Amino acid sequence: MTDPQPASSVASSLDDSSAPSLPMTRRGGGRRRGLRPLGLPWILPAFVLVVGLLYYCIGDTAYISTLDWDGVSPDKVSVGFGNYTQAYHDPVFWDAIRHTLVFFVATFALQTLIGFTFAAIVHSRIKLGTLYKVIIFTPVVIAPATMAPVFRQVFAADGQLNALLSDVGLVSWTQPWLAQPRTALIAIMLITVWQWTGVTFILYFAAMGQVEPEIIEAARIDGAGNLRTLAQIVWPSVRGTTVALGMLSVIGALKTFDVPYLVTVGGPNFATEFLGTMIYRISIPMAHVGYGAALSVILLVLALLGAIIIGIRGMRTDRTPNV
Amino acid sequence: MFETRGRRNKIVLQVVATLIVLPYLFPLYAMVKGSLAGEGWGNYRAVLDVGAIPTFFKNSAIIAVATILVVYVLTMLAAYGFSKLHIRGKEIYFWMIIVALTLPEVVLLTPLFVTATKLNFYDTYASVVLPLAALQIPFTLLLTRSFVDGVPNELFEAARVDGASTAKCFWYLVIPLTRPIAAAIVVLTLINAWNDYLLPLVLLQDPGKQTITLLPQFFVSEFSNDQTKVLASAVITAIPEIIAYLSLQRLFERGLSAGAIK
Amino acid sequence: MRAIARASRRRVYAATSFAGVAVLALAGCSSGSSSGAAKTSAAAASSAPAAASSSTAAAASATGSAATSPAGGSSSAASGPAPSVAAAPVDTSVSGKVNWWGWTPDAGVATQYITAFNKQYPNVKVTYKMLTIAGYNAALRPALASSVGPDVFDVAPGAANGAIDTYGVDAIDLTPAVTKALGSDWKSKLAPIGVSSLTTDGKLRALSVGAVFAGTVWINQDLFTKYNLKPPTTLAEWVNVCAAFKSHNVGCFIQGAAQTAFDEDTIQAISDSIEPGKWVQAIAGTAKWTDPTIVKALTIWQSLFHNGIMESGALGVQQYPDANNAFLSQKDAMVMMGTWYMQYSTKTGMTSAISGAGVKNPVPFTQVPIAFPDVAGAGHPASVYGDADFGLAVSARSKNIPAATAFATWLGTSSAGQQLVANVLNDIPALNSAQPVWAQTGLVNSSVQQPILAALISKTGQSSEPRLSTVSADLQTAIGTAATTVAAGGSDSPAKAAATLQSAADKLKK
Repeated sequence: MTDPQPASSVASSLDDSSAPSLPMTRRGGGRRRGLRPLGLPWILPAFVLVVGLLYYCIGDTAYISTLDWDGVSPDKVSVGFGNYTQAYHDPVFWDAIRHTLVFFVATFALQTLIGFTFAAIVHSRIKLGTLYKVIIFTPVVIAPATMAPVFRQVFAADGQLNALLSDVGLVSWTQPWLAQPRTALIAIMLITVWQWTGVTFILYFAAMGQVEPEIIEAARIDGAGNLRTLAQIVWPSVRGTTVALGMLSVIGALKTFDVPYLVTVGGPNFATEFLGTMIYRISIPMAHVGYGAALSVILLVLALLGAIIIGIRGMRTDRTPNV
Repeated sequence: MFETRGRRNKIVLQVVATLIVLPYLFPLYAMVKGSLAGEGWGNYRAVLDVGAIPTFFKNSAIIAVATILVVYVLTMLAAYGFSKLHIRGKEIYFWMIIVALTLPEVVLLTPLFVTATKLNFYDTYASVVLPLAALQIPFTLLLTRSFVDGVPNELFEAARVDGASTAKCFWYLVIPLTRPIAAAIVVLTLINAWNDYLLPLVLLQDPGKQTITLLPQFFVSEFSNDQTKVLASAVITAIPEIIAYLSLQRLFERGLSAGAIK
Repeated sequence: MRAIARASRRRVYAATSFAGVAVLALAGCSSGSSSGAAKTSAAAASSAPAAASSSTAAAASATGSAATSPAGGSSSAASGPAPSVAAAPVDTSVSGKVNWWGWTPDAGVATQYITAFNKQYPNVKVTYKMLTIAGYNAALRPALASSVGPDVFDVAPGAANGAIDTYGVDAIDLTPAVTKALGSDWKSKLAPIGVSSLTTDGKLRALSVGAVFAGTVWINQDLFTKYNLKPPTTLAEWVNVCAAFKSHNVGCFIQGAAQTAFDEDTIQAISDSIEPGKWVQAIAGTAKWTDPTIVKALTIWQSLFHNGIMESGALGVQQYPDANNAFLSQKDAMVMMGTWYMQYSTKTGMTSAISGAGVKNPVPFTQVPIAFPDVAGAGHPASVYGDADFGLAVSARSKNIPAATAFATWLGTSSAGQQLVANVLNDIPALNSAQPVWAQTGLVNSSVQQPILAALISKTGQSSEPRLSTVSADLQTAIGTAATTVAAGGSDSPAKAAATLQSAADKLKK
């Protein structure tokens, strides 16, 4: 099923090359009025693998979401949309949605800011660039499970963060970060940013490789400073990456699981509960597989909606031609 | 990106970079320090003394390499198709693939197990590689498509005018031009495959096929909850990934400077 | 320590090795860990207490202490080779391969068990696959339904990992096997709590390997001696002791208050000091959560967070590794732990545990369990409460039921197997006659520790009070909410939290 590109596709692609193409199409011919689906063979292997393997899971989940079931016992009670109305009336569900929103906005903004800036800096030939890259990147490869106890220590009442704050004279800021609902959410967001900025960084780093040095040179000659060059030349030309990252971040925020689960168990008092942690808690320890599946379907729909909105908005505002 | 000609510019840039990096360094420092607490290097020795380590490494490497191959090939083909070729109802196909990204793993395992046993994949590397690839492709495709979108269409038009086939455009334009993003997706796929814990656990029965993610388990169990060695395991597990990241990036960057663009 | 297994541990380590399940993501795009597996729900989990209390055998296990154990000097310490107690006849008639899946014990101990087992059954090859707590249900559920699952698998009572109420249906009835092994009066030879809590639909689905009890506070005796302090027996003394420790820059009492299971342990101890048994009645639904005893228990629990007893920031602390490490590195002088903590009373156990807590050149200290202070001042003796830790079930789909049964029965009922369990000092053995051989356990300070530990074991033998096995996962969530709400000192008074808990419990009954 993963056979890359059968011979027939080459043949049809050959036809394609001779077909006249309209130069003004942006997303690679999305609006082209070709007569045959010439690109289909190219996407087919990926499509077959993903859809073939995972759509059974989606269908299965959708079916289970209409049941009241513990996942094992032979009696499955059909409850229709009961699990969905239960979610609607579940205050923890709405808490989780609120946390997800805050979390998405904060972590996406921070990661984008840091990742973008840092990628630009590393592209500028600084000293020790490789070392810096490794430092930003390493958190990505470390399992959150390993780091969870370390972070609980850092944020503990007698932890390193408070020690640092006292050292710089901010004694009044010291507090048991993970024991208080509001600060626990902040800590979870900071840990997440720590963990994932590396990904944002390497993607921006890759995207900046596409920016033509001549354009930057030209801007310089026109007297543009560093910040203006970044804002007016570099930032627009990596917009595609920003949009993709935004879409992935929405999905990621909704699925957030391991950091809050491992560091704070979603607490204290559900202060760091997300849809991802809630689905786990409800499906596994509490064994309401049906309700968990319904939440998964809701997650799927929300993630898709969020990603589509960001995708469309990104495209719409993206009027600067990247040619 | 930044002007680095002036001495002052250089210093400012260096300082900013250092300030950004410090908060990232701190937890890593705490981690390494933790891995050296107690028995010091003895922790690393204890981890390396786990007899199955070579097997673990070998299996993780097999799974990671296979997953990377599948993901890289399929992603590149599909990104080209979605970005530069004509497909009727393209966005529908695209989003059908992206949907797969939204499922929490909680709901995947049981159906995947059923699928694996039905297709006789259970307890083979394929039972882990294929789902891993299927879960990774939506992610890499989204990134790669947006990257290929950034390649000017004119390049393709010009190539076609010169008589290049679609396949040739793929080979001589897409592959070299996507090197930067390829480095990124290969690294991210590697991490994902290397670090995956649940799929091998559930879909592989043979102890000879278990992966490196089981390593910390030796130190968190009935008689010991030895964080020092768990952290040492994490360091040992992470090192190959960091080396891979650096060397891959170097490889792809070199390709870039010698590449066809610009 | 896997003793804490249950919900708690499952959470603790949820993912020690969930090596970042997915990089799939950015803003924390982890895709979860988890599993499709599920637990039984609520109402089902209730066989244990009633049966346990009706048993006559409880006393039998209270045979007290020490090296007088008949198993005697032939058995080994925890880390040693298998004992050759009452050498059973070699049985070569049973043969074949047995796949054993569990989240506990760890691989080294499992090897000890299997080696000892093979002395009696040389023709059975047992392969142990250890899964993490988090991965266990995920792997077990589909595997049991397929042709590739284990022959023997770990189960536990209550809303725990490998919940007997969920997975019991996949196991054969072991009553004939245990009758054959121990005779028709087998019930009198096994700890009742293990039998009752692993029986469903009148069938013995698994054989308990051992039990764990909570309700005790463990103290660092050396620190108490150093600062000339006496273990507290009342709330007021406890406050004073903590103030004294604080004045020496030593932390006082620590527990992983971020985790419901351990909060339950403490609140159950408080509740029992106000009125014994009320807590268990509330769990069973025969008393209201709004009962004055429970409200008062929540009030005292809340006060621990404000009167300097509970370590600051405890609500963000997890039992393992945080609280455990704080106690072992002598940062805190007291910790809320149960009988599974006995294993750290030995020189080897404690030395490696201290080292694991990150201390260079570890020097073991004297730790002993004390009774939970009489915080209510009502004069009730402190209670201990426990459950079977885990049991071995034989899969009904096993292709080699005789060999699988032989192994499960051997570990759960043979004196050789149970002696190994006893000496490990983690579980209270299921076989009443098995007692730790103290002389060989190598206690840090045996003159101080041995009588106290022996008395604790004896006390557990008299307890029929369940710990977590009768608490459904849903109820546990509701209790956790009440516990953290009042501890966080928010707007909710203990009375209000109790009312919320009661209404949640009412909903569960429907």
